[in-house]
Formats: sequence, structure tokens, C-alpha cells
Amino acid sequence: MEKSLGWNGKTLKEMLEESEKMFQETGYYYAIDKLTLKEEDPFRFERNYASLRGALVSARETALHVAASPIVKEIGELCFALYTPEGDSIVVSTGILVHVHTMSEAVKFIIREDYEDDPGINPGEIFLNNDPECGNVHTTDVQTIIPIFWQDELIGWAGGVTHQIDTGGISPGHDIMAAVQRFDDGVYYTCRKIGSNDKIWKDHMISAKRSVRTPMYWELDEKCRLAGNLMIRDAVMDFIEKEGIDYYKQFIREAIEEGRRVFIERVKERLLPGRYRAAAFMDGAYKNIAWQPIAKVDKVNNQPLEIIVKENGVMSLSFDGANGPQNNPFNCGKGAMEGGQWVLLTQILIYGDKVNDGAYFAVEKNYPLGTWTNPGDPYLSYQVPWGNLIPAYTAMMKNISYGLFCRGYREEVVPGYGFTGDGIQGGGVYSAGPLEGNRWSLSTFEISGQGLGASAVRDGLDWGYAMWNPESDLGDVETWELFQGGVPYLARRVKPNIAGHGKFRGGGNYEGIALVANSEKVEFFGGREGLVFHGSGGMHGGYPNATAYRLYAKNTNLKEIFQNREDYPLGDPDPTNGEFEKFLKADIVRKPYCVIYPVLLKNYDMFHYTMSGGPGYGDVLERKAERVKQDLDDGMYTADFVNNIYGVVANYDESKEEWVIDENATKARQEELKRERMEKSMTFEEFWEYEKKKLTEDKLYEAVKLMYSESLKLSDKWAKEFREFWKLPDGFQMEVD
Amino acid sequence: MRNLKAMAFDTGGTMSDTFTIDEEGIFVVGKAQTTPENESEGILNSISDALEQWDTKIEESGQSIEALVYSGTAMVNRLLERQGNSNIGVIINAGFEDLLRLGRALQCWIWLDYGGRLHAREHEHPKPLIPRKQIKGVRGRINFWGEELVPLYDDDVKKAVKELLDIGVDCICVCLLCSYMNASHELQVRLIAEQIMKEKGKEIPIILSSKHNPVRGETPRLNALIIEQYAAEPSRKQLISIAKRFQEKRVPAPLRILTTYGGTISPYHKTLITTMVSGPIGGTIGSKFIAEKYGIDNLVSSDVGGTSFDVGLSMKTHVPVKWESSLGKFILNIPMIALDSIGAGTGMYVRYNEISGRLEFGPESAGYKIGVCNEESGVETVTMTDCSLILGYLNPNYFLGGKIPLNKNRALKYIEEQLAEPLRADPYDTARGALDLIEINMKNHLNGMIQGLGFRPENYTLISFGGGGPLHVAGYSSGLSFQNILVPEWAPAFSAFGCVCADHSYRHEKSVDLVMPPDGSMNTFVASLLNSTWTELKNNIAKEFEAEGRDPNEMIFKPTLRLQYFGMFDDLEVQSPAEELTYQLSPETQIYDSPELKVITKSYDDLFEKIFKRGTKSPELGYHITKCIGTGIVPVPKPKLPEHELGGEKPNENASKGTRDMYWDSKWHEASLWEMRLLNSGNLIQGPAIIEAPATTLLVPPSYRVKLDKHRIFHMEVK
Repeated sequence: MEKSLGWNGKTLKEMLEESEKMFQETGYYYAIDKLTLKEEDPFRFERNYASLRGALVSARETALHVAASPIVKEIGELCFALYTPEGDSIVVSTGILVHVHTMSEAVKFIIREDYEDDPGINPGEIFLNNDPECGNVHTTDVQTIIPIFWQDELIGWAGGVTHQIDTGGISPGHDIMAAVQRFDDGVYYTCRKIGSNDKIWKDHMISAKRSVRTPMYWELDEKCRLAGNLMIRDAVMDFIEKEGIDYYKQFIREAIEEGRRVFIERVKERLLPGRYRAAAFMDGAYKNIAWQPIAKVDKVNNQPLEIIVKENGVMSLSFDGANGPQNNPFNCGKGAMEGGQWVLLTQILIYGDKVNDGAYFAVEKNYPLGTWTNPGDPYLSYQVPWGNLIPAYTAMMKNISYGLFCRGYREEVVPGYGFTGDGIQGGGVYSAGPLEGNRWSLSTFEISGQGLGASAVRDGLDWGYAMWNPESDLGDVETWELFQGGVPYLARRVKPNIAGHGKFRGGGNYEGIALVANSEKVEFFGGREGLVFHGSGGMHGGYPNATAYRLYAKNTNLKEIFQNREDYPLGDPDPTNGEFEKFLKADIVRKPYCVIYPVLLKNYDMFHYTMSGGPGYGDVLERKAERVKQDLDDGMYTADFVNNIYGVVANYDESKEEWVIDENATKARQEELKRERMEKSMTFEEFWEYEKKKLTEDKLYEAVKLMYSESLKLSDKWAKEFREFWKLPDGFQMEVD
Repeated sequence: MRNLKAMAFDTGGTMSDTFTIDEEGIFVVGKAQTTPENESEGILNSISDALEQWDTKIEESGQSIEALVYSGTAMVNRLLERQGNSNIGVIINAGFEDLLRLGRALQCWIWLDYGGRLHAREHEHPKPLIPRKQIKGVRGRINFWGEELVPLYDDDVKKAVKELLDIGVDCICVCLLCSYMNASHELQVRLIAEQIMKEKGKEIPIILSSKHNPVRGETPRLNALIIEQYAAEPSRKQLISIAKRFQEKRVPAPLRILTTYGGTISPYHKTLITTMVSGPIGGTIGSKFIAEKYGIDNLVSSDVGGTSFDVGLSMKTHVPVKWESSLGKFILNIPMIALDSIGAGTGMYVRYNEISGRLEFGPESAGYKIGVCNEESGVETVTMTDCSLILGYLNPNYFLGGKIPLNKNRALKYIEEQLAEPLRADPYDTARGALDLIEINMKNHLNGMIQGLGFRPENYTLISFGGGGPLHVAGYSSGLSFQNILVPEWAPAFSAFGCVCADHSYRHEKSVDLVMPPDGSMNTFVASLLNSTWTELKNNIAKEFEAEGRDPNEMIFKPTLRLQYFGMFDDLEVQSPAEELTYQLSPETQIYDSPELKVITKSYDDLFEKIFKRGTKSPELGYHITKCIGTGIVPVPKPKLPEHELGGEKPNENASKGTRDMYWDSKWHEASLWEMRLLNSGNLIQGPAIIEAPATTLLVPPSYRVKLDKHRIFHMEVK
């Protein structure tokens, strides 16, 4: 090695180790126990922070214009950050805050693997990463990282990330349900050097474009990330020229330590110290749908989450007890676990504060090795970690909500949110029209509008929330069809009975119906939870939101229907009496689960998808009748559901086109429901006995048994608590085939 | 006797302002209470208030007025306060009846600041303007390239129209998917509706989205269609009655209303929605006018008001227009001058945050209540104006010419208690620090907008106006090397001045989706379609002028288009070199091609490269033309800038008001004090100095100087 790149003759690796050691020993980032710059001149400090952040935001705004992927452009799936030489984020742009800490891990990977030595790190060089084992969420998030130098020293890194529409996996799409091994995930770049002198190498670009199904988007998005990074580098140079390199070096440390302190203060203000626990689950029913023999297993994932809020405001978060990884795409690397966590903490706790890796240092975490949270196996598929992240982190929201509730922040309570899933995916080729012969890709980001959970004082937000991006946008149908015109929409309509019930109901949502038209070679797939309730459900008696399912029709008579101006399905408001079955002569597929591998469709075939509602809060019998009437008028619930769940009896007034509550009948019905509850209820001891029998008499469903058997093996601590709770003998295990 | 040349009004929720300018370019401003029941009353009162200062009346001096421009907030307020006409029927594709409720989801957060956007709990959908039962679906579908996919079900239409007529709606808005590509289903709906209305003996307007605004995006298109009927249309009577009052007063100029795209239209124009937001637009038009007069290529306008900081750009006398905008939480696709605002006005609150140990700003503002220094206002939280006051920038006895006395001691006490003590800092350092942070935000915003268009401040001249502009311009421009910094003497009334600079123009547009592959094979086809679309737009605009009694032959027609590289999402607007594109056999390729189309793609390439440098130009992808736009302009008289002889650099003694201490750069300076209106063209004032006028204060920090030019615009420089 010629010359160390770090400060004062150190290597980057030495700097990283030193930084980690100092934090471990002192509890302060870089052992900074005093924010000297801030105390000496708080206004200069804040001015500089604001200028840097301004530069990152404008880099993002500019880069957005260059991007081509509909996802980047329309949904703003683009985020930039500035890092210390060790890879800790100092400032983060607006955009998708999943990435507060993802690229940090990529930089640390580069440092730990001695890139300084080989392949070398030089001014003007460009690195590309999309490996979820090295600080990414999934392969479809692609990161461009450049080093920033001042004279001979490396003084930081700029990173930008965009979400691609396709990375060349086993099937088209950005969340590929059929990926079960790394080799199905698409093209992998593990912190690869791809350019020098601020230019991307041609051989890389040729190879990358041949590796994906949407080469044009890939190229333009690479250009967009690089353009933004170069703007950030310019801003850092301006900063140093104005304030001097010594100030910069001290400033970046203090900015992170300040971020850490602010997070701790926020935790102290909002939460009560204590131990919070919640569990969530996710189904991966691949036994009957997988093509690959290795993947033909039904699994349920155990997602127990414990949060301990310490008296000093430090928060610790542990997934101890999680079960093992699997041959499906839902495995998570550290980047994914951090991403899911930060995007939520920025929404619920630190939305008004500085966001950087300071907050990361204020939270201790445990992603146990060998579990789905940290498989430690690069050969698994990491294509759709969201499959686990989204439900798993509902438990974090619920835990934090308990804390908020205890402190009296009742309006801030969020027991959970809908699954941002069943984004319809696939693609095809136009067989007619002006674009005949051209390929179209199906990947609407309508999924960014899901139902949010109710709070302790009001109903949840309808169709307006994505856990990974609170700035949701359904997009206009007329815009989506420009890019996926082979599946024009026939409906996008509010779907009844999917919002989680409660005194305050969860957010509602809509369903969509699309037709295959003017196309051939059309593949279609999607996925969401289906066989388990999403996440950790509602709070204080509130119900979880409805689960997803799958519905499509092949070989339909729609052509004749249209010609004869006959009825066709505009939704699936009542799946037990479906419009598909009522109006179509077709091969109708209706499944209780949602995840499917790609199916081949042809013109006049039709598919349906449902967005997710949010979970509810509080006892349903406490919901005011006038709110229930509004739900009926709004089409949020139907009369039979309202009768069975809320005990509200209502009749439809045709002339006024609205529902009228029958107060006496309602009173009687609610009394009846209360009686039924009393009859059904049992003591905790009885319930415990009843449930325990399932364990001891081997009555558990195979996939659930498999889940617990893995958890028991993976964590002694969790196993001990499990056995103690159920009063099981030491060494109790679950037997699975 | 004075001859009035132009007059502009701005009727706000509480006050109506008049700005009038005479033949010499001298202006006067008047104010009166707004009279919502009959707006013309308030306007005439504010005119009287203005003209009293010149000892004249509208009846005496109004005959020479050539430009009469109205802007107002009545329509916006009707929307914000939900006081509009919701008795509207809507016909939409079956399966999409919930379109308005869904609001594309983004209507639940688009109106929030960044912290609010992250904080999902704050998100809330606006209540739909129309009850669900007044929205009827009809089956049928046109696909995205304009072909029929599902035929229109006539029976659905009949049923929908009958039900809506039975409800008793005042009009029916029709918005079908992809009607901007093929309007046949919408036309068919209208035919059927007319037939049913005849049968039922009822007649109400049937309004088609393909006629109103044939632009892609069904959510903003339907919103625009409905808001037109809900909030804009109800103002028509008022506007016509204002126009009539002026006719009675024998003012010959026709009343025109300012639009979001910077033109002005008649109150008889069939759509008024483009006149809904025009307040801040005036400043950008005024800036463009100044840019033309001074021969400035790139001018950035910055407007500091009580609650917001608005930035607009004009390049080579062209003002960028954006498409998607939002109004009262609803997204719209009406053209709007690209103007970006952040909440940073002089009334903005400053608070100390105990958790972060930092100062925080806004987002709310004390607005017209000014700050804690205005004892009677009841304001209890420090504002930016309080900070400016204790730093010696403002004269406590000359705020609005002395109409509102400011209490400096009270401001100091509050700043000490609320900010300085918790920060353990000196109150003056704290006040200056707070202003620094806000001015940095303004600077980031300004710089971001310029850089977002691929320029650097070095390419731009900055113009600063609004009541607070002259006070903060030195701060928010520091460190940015603008070519020049201009501060017009009439900064507080600059937006109104801009209104009278507006053209009489109509802008029509249409989504087209024309693809030009890189091999040029489609070029002649594209050229012929562009020609026919522009002709259609031109004829439509000509009809508008004709209906107003203007001679369409006087119209100047400007054909423009928006295009992008094929596959990209972001289109840019480019002017066409000709109204009609020609075809020629290209000697190089031996195929027919249009030379003007080449000029168009070349201008696009150049613009794209300028904005997004560093190798992002991608002509190899081909082009996608998204929109055809036509603007028809009938020239109207514009105001003249005041013209004074340049005198010496030394100001007259009578302009001096002595000295006052001002705090800058961590110390106190003795600033010279001047009365703005008594300075003469040619005068040079060295900082530290404070130049006072009743409605604004120009702060000249140490190491800065300003020079007043012959048009009474100050030029600010760093020494």
C-alpha cells in the first residue's frame, strides 16, 4: 500500500476501529462529551448544518429530473446522504428515509474489506452496490457511492440510492416473489468499482444494461445518482473553503453526536422507561406455488420484538426469538433491518429533528445471527425483505405506541399500518397499437397508499400511507397506463370491510381491476400476507385489518360482454358472492393466499388486487353509531359486517341515498353481542390450558410448529422464557418432519 | 391634472389594495376594507384612498387609463372556507366513482412542510367538494393511445343523467379516462344528456374535461373541472359587476383578470379557474418587465412578505411554467408560473426547542399582527420583526409610516426570556443568529431553485421586493455572487405593479404523446400533427379574443411544446421557431424531415444539458412530445418606469435623518439614516446605513453600498 487515506496517516480501517472503540468506551460518538463548536458559536454551527442539508436537498431535486424510472420520478424513490470517512451519515436529503443507515454499511464494508489497499480508492472513483448483505435493503435498491478527498486525505463519502424497476431477476419486477436463492435475485454488485475521473466505465455500463430488463432506466438512474453525488462533493468543497478543513473535521463529529443526544432527549420526552413487547407473523406459503423443489415449504415467520427504554433514554431493540431464514425472498440483511427501523422512527419520534446516524448510535439492537433478521448467508435470496420488515416493524410501532399512550400522547398512537403489498407486477409485449412489439413493465407504485392504523383518539388514515415513504402517491391511471398500457384499468374503487375494526377504525382502502389488452406474453404476479393477519394487529381491543387474497380470470367472455353492453366486474365487494363469478364465463382463480408466482395471461383476461386497510383501536362496541353510519354511507363497511361486529342495525333509505340507524334494534343487538361475549369468554387459566394442549398434544399446524422449533433452537434465552411460560419440561422441542 | 395610465387591484380577505401609476411613471397605493358582498365597493374605496393623495378622483382622471387589472382572493377563499357551490353532478367511468375521495393519496400531505410530511399522523385527506351520491359512473373505456377499449354503455349514461337531474344539480361535469386523446365518449355523453334534458324540460350546462383542459392526469383534470364550478364560476357575476362600475365611471380600458400563467383574461372568459391564484404571480411578471427594460437575461425574483418567501425565475424574458400545482389541498393541472414558496416571512415565529437545544422557526406566522413589539396585537411569541427591531434595523416610530407604534423594550424582554436565556447567549447575538438562520434557509431556497435549473447565481441578477425584501436581501444574498442586486423603491407595491405589466393573453394546451424515434422516421408525421394541433389551439384562442370584441388579427401567436427524452418523465418547454413546420428532403439522410423540428430538438438538448449537465443528455433515446401549447397575445399598453435625471452621488441634506445604532457581525455600528423618497437618482449610500420608507426599510450593512438609478431602483453591491 502506498499511502494511507485516513487522517493523520491512519488507514480508513484504523479510523473505523478507533471510532467504534471510542464509542464503546465513552458512550459518546467519537468520545465527544462536549459539543464545543456548537457551544462556542451555536449560530455558526446551525448555519453550516443548514447549508449542507440545503445542498443535499437541491442535489436530490436536480437529480430527480435526470432519473427515468417511474418509481424514482413519480414517487421520489431517491435519497442522498453525506458520510464521514468511517461511513457514518452526517446529513441526509429528503426522500426515502429508509436509507439513513443503509449506505453506511456499504461504506463500512468497503473499509473492512481493505479496498484502500485493493482495488484502491482514489479521487473521482465511483462505487456501485446493491448487495443486501453489505448495507442494502434489496437488490432493486441500487446505490452509487463516491469518496470525497481534501488534498491527500479522504474526508468523507457521498451516496445516492434509487429503486429500480427491474434488476434482471428470475422474473420481471422489483419485488420478485419467485426468487428463492441469490441467483434468482438479479444482478448483484457488491461494492464494485465502476468508474474513475467522475465517469462511469463503458464496459460496466454495457454489462449492466445487458443484465436487466429495463436497460434505459438503469442507465439514466445511474447518471442521476452520480450527478447528485458530484453536487454533494462540490458543496463539501465549498464548505471547507469557507470554514477550513479543521472546522469541517470537528463539525461532522459533533453533528452526529448532537443527533444522538437529540434522539435520546426525544425518547425521554415521549416514552416511559420499561420493557415493551409485541409479536408479529408473516406467511410464506411456498409449498404449493414454488417452481423450485428447494422452496416447496410452507413457513410462518416469528417476529417477536422487544424494546427496552432505559432510564438514560437509550433504547434497545431485539428480535431475539426470531425463527430461521428460508428459501423464499423474504430474508433480511442488516441494511434492511436498519432501513425498516429508521424510516419508522423518523415518522413517529424524530420527524422534526435532525436525522443522521447519531440516532443510529442512540439505539442498541440485536438481530440474532442465523435468524431471518440476519441469516449470515449471502446465497439466500434477499429480493423481498419487505415481506418480513413490513409486518415485523408493526410491533415496533405498537411498542412505541404503548409508550406514547403512557405519556399521554394519545393522538400519536399508531398501532400499525397496512401492508404495502400486492403491488401488481410483471410485464408483456404490445401486440397492437403504436407501440407494437415494445415491451411494457408492470410495477405501479400505487402500493404507496395504504391504510394507517387508528390512533387512540381518531380513525386511521385511508389509502394514504406507506411505511417506507409517508409521502404516498397513488398516481393517476392515465399516467400508469403510459408505461403499462397492456393492462388498462377497469376500476379503482373503495373496497368495503377491509379496515380494521375498533372504537376508532383503521384506514380503509381500495381495490383495482385491470384487463389484459393489445398484448402478448403477459406475465402477472403479486404478493402480500394472506394466511396470517398482518403484523401485530390492532391495539387495546382493535381488530387487525383484513388479509389479502388472490383473484383473476382467464379465458373470459369479456369481448362478447363489451359488445353486448352487459355487466362486467367493477370490484369484489363481497367475495362470497363475487362479481367475477356472477358476470363472467371464465376460468376464475380465487385463492385465500396472496403470493403467487408469475402466471401467463392473454388478452381479455382480467385480474384483481386489493390494497391494505389499517388496524383498529379500542373496543368495537364503543364506536359511536353515527360514525358507523358514516362508514356505511362511505362504503367502508357493509350492513352485515356492521351488524355482526358493531351491533349496529341500519336500513338503507333509497330516496335519500343514505343509511338510517335503527336505534332500538341497535341497542338490542349490542346487548346480544355482549351476552355472546360473556358466554364465549373464559378465564385466563382456562385459555392457557386450552392453548397449551395445542403444544403438548401436537395440534399445531405444521408451518407453525416449524416456526417454533426454529425459534427454540436459535435462542436459549427465548426458549427458556417460552418453556417457563407454558410450564414445559427443560429441553422441550417441537418435532417436525 | 394627472393622467392615470394603469391601475391594478388586489382584493384580499380583509383589505383591497389599489396600485395606480401616472403617465410619468409615478405611482400611488390605496387601501380599503374588502366588501365581499359587493367587491366593487371596496375597490372603489381603495381607489379613492389612493387618488386622494393626488387630489383627484377616478371620474376625473380615469379616462386615460389603458390597463385595468384585477387580482383577488375571493375564489381561493371560497375554496379554503368551503363556501362554494357543491351542487354539481359528475359523470365518470364506472369503477372510478371514488376518484375524488382517493385524491391520489398525495392530497393528504402535499400541503404540509417537510416535518409534517414525515409525520404520518398529521396527514389528512381534504373533504371532497362533492358528495359521493352526485358522482355517477358509466361503463366504457378509451385506452391511452385513444382507441376505444370498451364501448360506452348508453343506458348507463341515460340513468346517470336522469338521476343527477332528479337530484337537481346545477351542472354536470364529465371526466372520462383518456378523453384528452379521444373525446368521443365525452361528446357522446353530452349528446345523450342534451336529449334527456330536452325530454325532461330542464337545461343545465354539461361541461367536458376534454374541452375544459385536455391534459393527462384524471385527478387534477377532474379537480380543475369541479373547482371551476365550485369556486371560480360563482365569482363571475362579481367580476362583471366590477367591470360595469368602471364603465359607469367612464374608464375606457376593459377590466382584465390576472391568471396563474401571467396573462390576463376577460371576466367573460368561459374558464376562470386560471385566475384563482394570482397574488404572488404579479411579482414575477413585474420582474420579467424589469428584465426586458434592463436587458437582463436571467433574473431571479424574491418576494419577502409577512408569511412567505417566494422565488421565481425569468430567463431571457421567458418565465418557466409548471403544470401540476396544488390549491387548497387539491392538485390541479392548470399552467402556473413556476414560483416556489417557503414559509419564511417577517412575521414568522421564532422559538427555542428544549429537546434539541436549537432555535426553530414557524411554520406559523403572526402575519399582520407583526410581533410582540406590537403590544395591542396580543402576540406572545417572538417574530422575525421583533429581532429586526431590537437590532436597530427598524424605526419603532415609522412602521407603516408611524401608524403602528412598535415597543422595542417589550421585544427585547421577550427575546431575552424566550430565546437568549435558554440559549445562554446575548440577546442581540441571539436575534442576529435567528435572522441568520432564516436568511440561510431563504438563501438555500434561492440557490436551490437556480441550481435546479442548472445555473449558478453568477448567471443571475437578483431582484428583491415585498415589504420585507429590502430588509433581508443583504442577508439572503450574502455569499451568492449575483451579477447585480436590484431593489426597486416601490418594493412593497411591486406585485401590484407587476399586475399592470401583464399581457392580455390566453394560453391553451393539449396533451399529445408524439414519439420521435432516433432514426427520424416519424418526423414528418410528428410535424404535421404539431401543425394541426397548433392550428386548432390558435383558432380556439382567436375565438376567445373575438368573443371579447378584440380583433383576432391583432393577436400574436406563440406556439410552444413540451418534450422529453423518450422514457424519461420530466418534460421541458421549448418554443417552436415557426407556427407551421415545413418538410424538406434531407440531403444527408435522403428522407423527408422538418428543419424546424431539428431546431426544436436542438433547443431541447441545449436546455436539458444546461440544466442537468454532466453527461446526462440522451438524444439517442429519441424524443417524446407530451404537450402542444399555444399562447395568443394581444398587446396592451404597459406602464412606463419612472425616469429621472441622474444627479450626484452625494444625497441632499434633507434626505438625512441622522444616525441609529445597528447590530451586524457581532458588533454595533453607527448607521446613517435616510428617508427613501428624498434620495435622488444617482445618490450613493455607503453602509452601514438604513434607508426608511413608510412601507419598507432598506438595510445596507457595513461593507455594502447602494446606488439609486434613474428608474429609482437601488443597486446593491458588496464593497
